[in-house]
Amino acid sequence: MSHAVAGPVVATGHFQAIDVTKAFGSVAVLRGVSLGLQPGRIHTMMGENGAGKSTLFKILSGLLRPSNGELRLDGAPVVLDAPHDAHLRGIYLVPQEPALMPELTVAETMFVGQLPTRPGFPRRVDWPGLRRRAQDALASLGLDIDVGQLSRHLSIAQQQQVECAKALLRGCRIILFDEPTSPLTSHEVERLFGIMRRLRDDGCTLGFISHRMDEVLEISDDISVLRDGALVDTVDRNGFDRVRLLSQMVGREMKVIPRRTTSFSTGRAMLHVEALSHAPRFHDVGFTLHEGEVLGLAGLVGAGRTEIAETIFGIRAPSAGRVSLGGADISGLAPHAVIRRGLVYVPEDRARHGAILPMTITENITSGLLDRLRQRFGLIDRQDEDRRGAAIVTQYRVRCAGIDQALRQLSGGNQQKVVFGKWMGLRPRVAILDEPTRGVDVGAKDEIYELIEELAKAGLAILVISSEMEELVRLCDRVLSIYEGRIVAELAGADVTPARVGQSYLSHDGLAA
Amino acid sequence: MSTRNEVTARRRNLSRLPLDGWSRALLILLVLLVAGLCLSVDGFYPGFGGFLALTENFLPFGLVALGLTTVILTGGIDLSVGATAGLSAIVMAELWSGLHVSIWLAALAGLLAGGVLGAINGLIITRLRTEPLIATLATSFIYASIATALAGPSPPSGFPDSFNLVGTGTLVGPIPLQLVLFAVLALLFTLLLQYSTFGRRIVMVGYSSEAARYSGLRIDRIVLSAYVISGVMSAFAGIVLAAYYSAVRPDMGDVLLLSTITIVVLGGVSIFGGEGSIAGVVIAVLLLGFLRQGMLIAGYSDMVTTMLTGAILLGAIGIKNILSGRGTGIAALLARIRKTTSTKELGTP
Amino acid sequence: MTTLPLAGSRVSGREMSQPQGPARIRGREVREVTLIVATVLTILAVGVFNHGFLSTQNLRFMLLNSVVLSLVALGQTLVIATRGIDLSVAPVMGLTAVVTGLLAQSSGLPLAGAVGITILLGLVLGTLNGLLVARLAIPPIITTLGTYSLYSGLVFVYSNGTQVDSVPASYATLGNGFVAPVIPIPIAVVVLAVALLLVWFMLNHTRFGRAILAVGNNDVAAYNAGIGVTGVKVRVYALSGLLAAIAGLMFVCYTGSATVTTGTGDHVELQSIAVALIGGTAIAGGRGNVVGSVLGSLFLSVILTALVFVHVPPIWYSAGEGLMILVTVTAGMRQSRGGNN
Repeated sequence: MSHAVAGPVVATGHFQAIDVTKAFGSVAVLRGVSLGLQPGRIHTMMGENGAGKSTLFKILSGLLRPSNGELRLDGAPVVLDAPHDAHLRGIYLVPQEPALMPELTVAETMFVGQLPTRPGFPRRVDWPGLRRRAQDALASLGLDIDVGQLSRHLSIAQQQQVECAKALLRGCRIILFDEPTSPLTSHEVERLFGIMRRLRDDGCTLGFISHRMDEVLEISDDISVLRDGALVDTVDRNGFDRVRLLSQMVGREMKVIPRRTTSFSTGRAMLHVEALSHAPRFHDVGFTLHEGEVLGLAGLVGAGRTEIAETIFGIRAPSAGRVSLGGADISGLAPHAVIRRGLVYVPEDRARHGAILPMTITENITSGLLDRLRQRFGLIDRQDEDRRGAAIVTQYRVRCAGIDQALRQLSGGNQQKVVFGKWMGLRPRVAILDEPTRGVDVGAKDEIYELIEELAKAGLAILVISSEMEELVRLCDRVLSIYEGRIVAELAGADVTPARVGQSYLSHDGLAA
Repeated sequence: MSTRNEVTARRRNLSRLPLDGWSRALLILLVLLVAGLCLSVDGFYPGFGGFLALTENFLPFGLVALGLTTVILTGGIDLSVGATAGLSAIVMAELWSGLHVSIWLAALAGLLAGGVLGAINGLIITRLRTEPLIATLATSFIYASIATALAGPSPPSGFPDSFNLVGTGTLVGPIPLQLVLFAVLALLFTLLLQYSTFGRRIVMVGYSSEAARYSGLRIDRIVLSAYVISGVMSAFAGIVLAAYYSAVRPDMGDVLLLSTITIVVLGGVSIFGGEGSIAGVVIAVLLLGFLRQGMLIAGYSDMVTTMLTGAILLGAIGIKNILSGRGTGIAALLARIRKTTSTKELGTP
Repeated sequence: MTTLPLAGSRVSGREMSQPQGPARIRGREVREVTLIVATVLTILAVGVFNHGFLSTQNLRFMLLNSVVLSLVALGQTLVIATRGIDLSVAPVMGLTAVVTGLLAQSSGLPLAGAVGITILLGLVLGTLNGLLVARLAIPPIITTLGTYSLYSGLVFVYSNGTQVDSVPASYATLGNGFVAPVIPIPIAVVVLAVALLLVWFMLNHTRFGRAILAVGNNDVAAYNAGIGVTGVKVRVYALSGLLAAIAGLMFVCYTGSATVTTGTGDHVELQSIAVALIGGTAIAGGRGNVVGSVLGSLFLSVILTALVFVHVPPIWYSAGEGLMILVTVTAGMRQSRGGNN
């Protein structure tokens, strides 16, 4: 650590991964990936969930060490033991949700670990200089953020912007963006792209991860497709071809997306939402969900879809509006009361909200129906509990060593099946599924889809929140598009196509697009 | 995204030690200790009756530990156990001497007082959202003051003999009544925490109160009842101590706090909540209790044994951490990485 | 420095005119101001009814009375700022008081020697805490609970039942004397002021101090940014031990006595946590206000003395302390939560 912020002279920025392999335990996450990032170019990694893109970036930025293979900077091998090593060599990772130092000022967080000091004794932090340089760095990116405020007041978009400036302050010219756009609004994405272009034009080497085809095609100079931890192909701007990229990602020829085979016809109305609001996240949301129907909520991350679900479920209190379930008013009830009336919610973040990973499969399955377990003298009848657990494990085809296995030992897909089983054991009337295939491996996705279809066929009313167009198209009878907290479009029947759905939630006038 | 989950899973793997293994290690240690003390310390085993009577000196700690375990399993802490024990015992004694209430009725009122004090803790924590550490620190000051005020300059003493038997009497042959009480309560707590739906809820809240909330648990109720249980058990300990000494003092519970936290943690209960068993705690009660008594009989002072207790706690947890790969700088940090990031994300809008 | 062309970069005069320094954030001084106002109001209110309260002697007494707790609270504040806690400050303070006091009483240890022993004891005991927390990853509350027992046992073993009843004149001067006959400032207050200044400067104007806060804010991010998290933690616990030891020396000099229960008997560990929280340090780490901690213990001293003057029985003092913690911490929480959105 030198006292000047700019570290040693940094390489021009030709950064290569050579035959990089990474395994966690026996699970290989990356298999022999070789690719190179060039100065003055934006190189995008594409791939489905679990393809290994994030792991690759973590290795490139020193957060993880490769199990095999090496990294080369301007042709010379480098070993990165920690992110700090990477910074010293001019490599900086901008995470999707930057780690905050909530109680420090923005200016200080930009210099954490490398605070500039004034010469003399005692060596004191040069606060005025720090402020000025922080402000300058932000200004050079065309940003106007008050560096004197506490960083906990920053939005995610601002945090990312600050991270970009931070990279520059550390003299880093190789900047990696790990899926930065998914929590951003379209306006914020444009702004970020502005910064990225600026950096590229200045000769920085940029790495980028994104799921969104349109923005990838817009911003990238090179695209690498990863699938199941292996590099499928790297193409430059001339080779961009939407269909080919998609089929490379999925690993099969893109065919017509299979739609639900049985569509609901005239089910009874189960869930009726009327003018529901939770200021300032969403406003005036209304819809009706029928028995046996699968209704989709499409929209960007941050559009308010999860908040709508959580408000219906009772985690958040509505500021206005009504929710009724099978005719009975449930607005404002707490989750336990909502569950008792037959509505369940499978949250997006399984590790934090959906399940308790250190507990066993059975304990997780019965955690939703503790009241209904058979008890003797107030004690849980373990045999009955095990029977219920085993029944769910069998019914939902959970692959595990035994029902007493800790849930965290299962793969994402199997964990999700357990969470499904936990709620379906209650025989609910309505289920809200928030990103049901988040963190689920590609192979297991189809199983989850089949499961959802079976449940709908059995009469369950299902609300699906998803950011994956194909998922919505495959599953839903109807799709509602949410844009900045409001329903802007409703698609049904033949209108539910990837293109229509994809367009519908990108602006406030929905279908007009 | 699946990579992230696998990383999470790996951390949990490391941080979890088979609980039975821990309890078993403690049990072996207990057997060795008792055998060693019997052989090497004269007077430690004056006969079966005398040996069992040793437990009367430390079982009140065990009673508090049972309640405190409930609280720590939810991921909280109760620093007011000592003050609650003192205040409840004083309430009992004052009702008896001042208002001439029957001592048994007064004892019941003492337990009730413990429950109320625990409920106050629980309400402050669930309603005002004050950190358990701070809330119970504050109430411990307040309860101690009230106890001193109620007790006056000369607190009551000389309870009826029949009541004193709770602290010093025997039930069947040489078995102390206290030991029977503790055994029954320990069994009750095992059933409650490990075999009932209530216990399941406590553990869920301890592992992840967020996930518990999304599963439809009423977190506030569960947390509140944990503190009530802790309050009642502290009161119980205070009353048993009163019977043992046939006297009360407002500060008589002060010794309980640090020792019982030591017991619970040594017993394998995670200070972060979720993990732990009553069996481990019971073994820890006996382990530390016999150690203390043995050392006292061997002529060491109380404080030397306290010192040894501290060393054992640090040694045990240190070894546990090293064995589970959490020791030494970076490894420890990496283990905490996931924890902090997973809790930090919550705060972002 | 950025290598980007700084075209369009304009340093607005706005932030240049802002006060400099890390802690100068809108509303950050609210806590200090509130505490000062509360302290002054209490003094005036009680003074109206009882003029003795306003006497120089009483004011000096209240100030002196807060010195020991303030010193402990300084260290505690640093530890809490790293998202830790140090329960062992009480026996560290007690051990130092007993060791230096007994040596002075029995073998006439010169004051300089006592200072040396104090520094050594504080650093060694504190470093042990730090190593256990940072190297063995034992949660701070458990670590310092264990060393609490360990160190209080040491006090007992060392004193072996004896206690300090009087200290040599040089010690008493350090505890009770004035800087000079004509300058009626107690030396003990000067010691505290110097300690506060040093710790404040370190926390707010040195890289190490800022690293403490960075670790408390987010230790993973701090590690990723190249901060030696382990080292920072070890040094913070060492500092906390050092300050507790100095408090012990000041205690024995001030009161001229020390017993086995010095420190632990008054629950200095809990009081120091309370005072730090009252002073505006966040229990969740990342924010440390050393000035607030000292003001907090001064406020506590004033309140406790005021209770004496208005004839509240001493038994209610600790209840007052408990209420103070509850009110200030809960109110402080509301305040910072309100500022969150």
